[in-house]
Amino acid sequence: MILLDVLDKDLVKVPLTASDKQGIITELVEVVANAKGYSTQQFEDMLEAVLNRESLGSTGIGNGIAIPHAKTNVVKQVTMVVGISRFPVDFASPDGQKSRIFFLVLAPSSAASAHVELLASIARTCTSNVFRRMLESAKDKDEVVRLFME
Amino acid sequence: MGVPFKDIVVYLDGSESSMTAAMYSIKLAVEHQAKLTAVYVVNTKALSELVKAGIFVAIERDEYQRDLQADADRYLRHVAKLAATKQLEIDTVKLEGAIHVVVRQLLKEQKADLLVLGGITDIRSRREELSSETDRMMRTSPCPVLVVRDDDDIWLEFEE
Repeated sequence: MILLDVLDKDLVKVPLTASDKQGIITELVEVVANAKGYSTQQFEDMLEAVLNRESLGSTGIGNGIAIPHAKTNVVKQVTMVVGISRFPVDFASPDGQKSRIFFLVLAPSSAASAHVELLASIARTCTSNVFRRMLESAKDKDEVVRLFME
Repeated sequence: MGVPFKDIVVYLDGSESSMTAAMYSIKLAVEHQAKLTAVYVVNTKALSELVKAGIFVAIERDEYQRDLQADADRYLRHVAKLAATKQLEIDTVKLEGAIHVVVRQLLKEQKADLLVLGGITDIRSRREELSSETDRMMRTSPCPVLVVRDDDDIWLEFEE
């Protein structure tokens, strides 16, 4: 599985409006919950799973990118939300750089292979400085999708 | 060159299209009276990349490695059962490493004369073309490759 297999315009948010780590994660989970019509309980379950994972170590990976992720059986298949923030947010990245590009990845526990492949695909896709800069400058969700499809 | 095919390998990755390929290869093996090997690769290279990139912490890598092993066992068992419904006994192989590298090695060691793959999609971006494991297996296979289109008819025919 690669990033384009799960890229969905309804699961892209530009710009994100939260200004801290917990707020960004909450906002990303809300995007999934709203797009898929999940209940408040399901939203809370997903959020708890992501925050629990975050408590093991930050998913800010440097170069202005963070990839919060978790296993949760609320989702029936591997799901990805892309969010771009206008303002850098501290995600405790190892390089000390604040993040503006966010990928939330949620996967059911039965989809370990696809989950791992998607995370690796995101990491590979974002290795280019130029691509990251273009993503950070994206004006709307259409532009984000177009950049990935190029 | 082995025609008709005598030693067929089908690659599984848990996707629906790889299951289609498995069904097709079972029918092919029965018709050709060929040996069929189903291979699943636990992608430890991807796990290592995730730890290196800081996406996975060590405890998480270990947990996912166990999950991936369980996935592999589950899919291999499933395909063996599918083959049994057609009175075909198959070999199952679980490997670890970089997918296209270890599959190529298996094909060479086994002197396989056909690799069956599913899951070729249209190229949607230049970046994707460079990262598809299926594409890499096609390019590096030492034997002919058969790409099975994901097709409902194959499932229906198999179930007949």
